Amino acid sequence: MIRSLAVLLISAFAGAALAQDAPLIRLGRGFAAEEQLWLMSVRTDLTPNQGKKYQLKQILFQANPERFQAYLAGELDAGTAPGMALIPARQQGMDVKIVASICLEGVGGQYFTTTYMVKDDGPIKSVKDLKGGTIGVVGIRTATDLWARAGLINAGLAPDRDTKVVPMAFPVIGDAVRTGKVSAGTFVEPFYSAEMAKGGLRKLFTAVEAVGYEHELLDLFFSEKFLKAHPEAVRAFLADYVAVTRYYLKNMEQAKRDLHKAGFVRTPVEIYVKNHDWKRDPDARVNVDSLKKLTSFMLEKLQWLDKPVNVDEMVDQSYLPK
Amino acid sequence: MSRVLPFVPVAVAMAAWEAAARSGKWSPLLFPSLERIGNELARFFTHPEMLQEALLSLERALGGFALAAAAGILLGVLMGRSRLVGELLDPLFSGTYAVPKLALFPIFIFVFGIGSLSKVALVFLECLYPIVVMTYAGARDVNRTLLWSAQNMGASRAATLRRVVIPATAPYIFAGFRVAVPVAMIVVVITEMVASADGLGYQVIYAMSSLRTDRMLAVVVVIAALGYLLDKVLVLARDRLIYWEKLDTYYV
Repeated sequence: MIRSLAVLLISAFAGAALAQDAPLIRLGRGFAAEEQLWLMSVRTDLTPNQGKKYQLKQILFQANPERFQAYLAGELDAGTAPGMALIPARQQGMDVKIVASICLEGVGGQYFTTTYMVKDDGPIKSVKDLKGGTIGVVGIRTATDLWARAGLINAGLAPDRDTKVVPMAFPVIGDAVRTGKVSAGTFVEPFYSAEMAKGGLRKLFTAVEAVGYEHELLDLFFSEKFLKAHPEAVRAFLADYVAVTRYYLKNMEQAKRDLHKAGFVRTPVEIYVKNHDWKRDPDARVNVDSLKKLTSFMLEKLQWLDKPVNVDEMVDQSYLPK
Repeated sequence: MSRVLPFVPVAVAMAAWEAAARSGKWSPLLFPSLERIGNELARFFTHPEMLQEALLSLERALGGFALAAAAGILLGVLMGRSRLVGELLDPLFSGTYAVPKLALFPIFIFVFGIGSLSKVALVFLECLYPIVVMTYAGARDVNRTLLWSAQNMGASRAATLRRVVIPATAPYIFAGFRVAVPVAMIVVVITEMVASADGLGYQVIYAMSSLRTDRMLAVVVVIAALGYLLDKVLVLARDRLIYWEKLDTYYV
């Protein structure tokens, strides 16, 4: 009896000591399209390495600039961000490596892709009709800004000169389009489904149509410093991440219900579980070619970059499970 | 000596900033050196389109401020000289002064659109309060002896208002203006940061989103300089118009 108790106590202390030794990953997360990552904090039973080989602390940020500032200030070791936001950050000299994909703007009816919509009974029938109008995006120099500009350029319009691009919050874009305050707006899930249910809006173009190919939307990044200091912790974290991604893809409805219950998502659960999801690679592999194409587009068409960025150098998938 | 003195705190702050930037403790992307900020400042002044952005923000700020000044003086004087109007409006202004009007900006966008009008309207609302409150206090505080003297000399109500009440209230009005002018600049920049495709606030958010803290700080310096200049112009106007009441402090 005494021996069993001693073994139990020693195991408990050893477990606690192990957890204390496991490096803490301070990860800056966003508020949309990162389901499998959030699930790692909600369903820890799916992440056998968590607490043993790494500890995870997810911190919510509303936008990329604030997340990058916290990262630069040394308050984060890792984070989520659109690949197309990480490319200019890398060009500015930010120590950052993309290690895995979260989701893509994918081709195929089964996937959701960010959609630009106009008033159903309004005068705008094609992108060309946006000349002299305004298009609402969620933030300047974000992915939504890039797609809007790509759509305008494809239609022969000059962003800013022919059509103004203004930032606004996702929840107000629907009414802004309906009341004519903006000519077109950006819609992502869950706002897309909610606005479609209300009616009165029509699709103008999608993110995939704007750039012309399937591409990375959100990626996971780490600092090179952290990768060098704790390679095993990152490998263990990514092994769990891939396992959770596969679980999520197979059990999407249950996973969504768990996330909703945990308060990660505020959309009414019945709408949330029915929404089309973004495309996610079960192995979390990054579509490097799409990032290269986006880099060229940002450099040549948008002048968002002063010089080319070596995408191969900023993506390191060696930490992903083989 | 007194001419150099105001620059001492600025020089100390700049030296502290440079020391922090050179310490290597923080990323230069977050804490750029003064040299980099200076380069961006030079870039700002050599790009006509940037000056255009500054002009646009200034127009919005001064437009809203001018409307608030006109309405604020009228309301403040009426509240101060009419018991009825005072009792009617004082609870409204006192009760809603602390409300952060910026929270109403989404509603302003829906009413006035996403362009300049919503920004001017919000500047007007934010500036109205300090001007009304100060003018009200001044108009109530007019020396009774002066009012009686004017009445004894047969001055009409309009003449008393023009020759006694307004001049006596003027120092208070200018005090309200000095509070309202920086408020106008702050509100215009914030609203341009929230929803705009132009103006200095847009330039701040654009630079921030591009991880160009040096460029963002250069714009911030321009905003600060504009605020300082506007205040100096106001003080100059005050000293000219209210020449009988120059600010003269006795230090112990």
